[in-house]
Amino acid sequence: MFKNKFAKALVAAAVSVLALGATAQTSHAASSTVQVYISADTNIQDLWVKQLIPAFTAAYPQYKVTVTFDLHGDHDAQETAKITAAAVLHKDPQVDVIDGGFVQQLGSAGLLWRPTAGLLPNIKNVSKSVLAAGKGGIPYRGSSVLLAYNSDHVKTPPKTLDDLLAWIKANPGKFTYNVPSGGGSGYAFVQTVVDKYLSAADRNTLALTANKDLQSKWAQGLETLRGLNKYTYGQNGTYPANNAETLKDLSTGLVDMGTVWSDQFASAQKAGTMPTNIKVVQIANPPLTGGASYLGIPSSSNNKTGARLLTNWVLSPAAQNLIVAGTLSGLPVIPVTMLDPTAAASFASVDISNLRPTYLSANGNDLKSAWASAVPGK
Amino acid sequence: MASVKSEAKAENLEVKSTSRSSVLGFFMAAPPMLLVVCFVGIPILIAFTFSFGFTSGPNRVVSIIGQEIHKKDHWWGTFGAYKDVFKDSRFPGDLRTTIIVSFLSTFLTLLMALGIGLYQRIMGGRIAAIMTTLCLVPLFVPVVISSWAIHTFYAGDGFMRSLLSHFGINFPTVTSTVSAIVIGSVWTSLPFAILMVTSGLQSIPDALIETAQDAGAGFFRIVRTVLIPLAITPIVIAGTFTAIGIMGSFTIPLFLGPNQPTMLGVEISNFFGAYNRPQQSIVMAFIVFTAASGIALIYIWANVKSAKQSGRI
Repeated sequence: MFKNKFAKALVAAAVSVLALGATAQTSHAASSTVQVYISADTNIQDLWVKQLIPAFTAAYPQYKVTVTFDLHGDHDAQETAKITAAAVLHKDPQVDVIDGGFVQQLGSAGLLWRPTAGLLPNIKNVSKSVLAAGKGGIPYRGSSVLLAYNSDHVKTPPKTLDDLLAWIKANPGKFTYNVPSGGGSGYAFVQTVVDKYLSAADRNTLALTANKDLQSKWAQGLETLRGLNKYTYGQNGTYPANNAETLKDLSTGLVDMGTVWSDQFASAQKAGTMPTNIKVVQIANPPLTGGASYLGIPSSSNNKTGARLLTNWVLSPAAQNLIVAGTLSGLPVIPVTMLDPTAAASFASVDISNLRPTYLSANGNDLKSAWASAVPGK
Repeated sequence: MASVKSEAKAENLEVKSTSRSSVLGFFMAAPPMLLVVCFVGIPILIAFTFSFGFTSGPNRVVSIIGQEIHKKDHWWGTFGAYKDVFKDSRFPGDLRTTIIVSFLSTFLTLLMALGIGLYQRIMGGRIAAIMTTLCLVPLFVPVVISSWAIHTFYAGDGFMRSLLSHFGINFPTVTSTVSAIVIGSVWTSLPFAILMVTSGLQSIPDALIETAQDAGAGFFRIVRTVLIPLAITPIVIAGTFTAIGIMGSFTIPLFLGPNQPTMLGVEISNFFGAYNRPQQSIVMAFIVFTAASGIALIYIWANVKSAKQSGRI
């Protein structure tokens, strides 16, 4: 009896070991699975899950795409640490394509596969300067921060930053922007005001390299922002926590003007949560920042071939049409002439050739910190 | 002879069984101990060395990613990160806010808990029981939900302002102020404090109160000289737990507080995430830890006192 049981156990163990080996084998052979990590808002999740991935797997049925989603990039630091640790320890990071704000940071640390036109043919359609700013990240869509205003109360919206600053002072309590560490739309306003006092060369340097000396030139812009405390909504130097709260303040009529992301605003209008009397414009001198969102392929990824195929496809006109005309209403990174004309018409009011880049994340983090020291509650 | 032998046997058995139960006891206590040591104790030690600039070994990855990292320049490390924090213009305001909110909220919480507790102890009856039960409701509402509720209640377009504007009163916007953090903290801390204080007061025998009454003591005198001194241990425990909880709170100051100055819990998260300065955020965490340890000493004192009273030590 005992022997019989023992034999059974032995067989069971042998079978499970074989099964384990077999699954390990298939998971190795299945370089047909591409693991995508998205760190963004829900509109980007919808873009990938509902539009890009179904269209990609329809075109390449032999591939399977899995998605890990991190809302608002709450775990960017941990994911960065995980990918860095995986690279240092030569382990699989379990991610092949990253869509998130920390891609350039990974690129600067040398943890990304550097795209080349040989292995990623569609990259030739992308602007060289936008590509260079990616530090190894591959630009795949654009979005810009715009000035949203209530057209019932504001008949002639400001055209330049100086106009906007004058409007804010003339209409106390009617403008707001969110805390820069809480969301990119408020961050864009802060960087734009700070950039007003910087030369074009200095702005460019801060967009490309970490530079502590140039950061001292932010003082004048931060002082201007501090001066706005009593004119912005809240009037005692308090600001909304994130992008969504600025949108809420606009839609409920608490404020007449605020800075918003082009895609979040367009999504909200499509969904009906943003009244139609709220309109958007871009200002000039300098314009509010915007720029490309980057995809990154970790150099330690186990499936760089699949990752390259997916990324290259995302840069194709078919995928770019989905980004522009779908629920996201994003901006394309390839020339407008390559797009479907009806899709191209939808963003005619936004000048995509004029997107002003945000700082490199290291400088951006310092600006967020400098703003928190100098502006709120002061 | 035989009886001696059997007695010895019985004794032997007893020794065996106590040693067996102590081994069992050790193994029952071991998992939580191991958990605390591995997942709390060791990480705290590693973080402590990181705050002093030990950037190799387990701290290697975080020091590659972080900004403003100070590497050790002596055998014992460096005070670089500590200097950064103490020189930062935000830190004094944050520390002040944290201390003011912790003490004010704890004081108000204890005051309210005593109010309810005394009412129930002295008056008793159905209404008192219903009130005590109602006060426990916040225990079952998640903090995120309640802070958001308080936010919508006191915000610029909130209930209070909307209602009072109908009567021509301009109610102030309470959100984004320290007052809002205090309101939120009291709301979340009250149930536990009430449970502790009420049970403490309930355990005082009626005879003591009646004797005091017979001797001609008034209400306030009974409260001051009989009830509070006899229930001081649970009151101190409720106070220390409340203060430590509020000192480390994050959700309430994040939702309800001003952008700046804020409480250290929020600032630690800002430094760790948004500003990417892990070393400085760890330094702040150790400052909160030190302050909380100070409060914990009061808790230990209260426990020792009650143990002495009941003759356990």
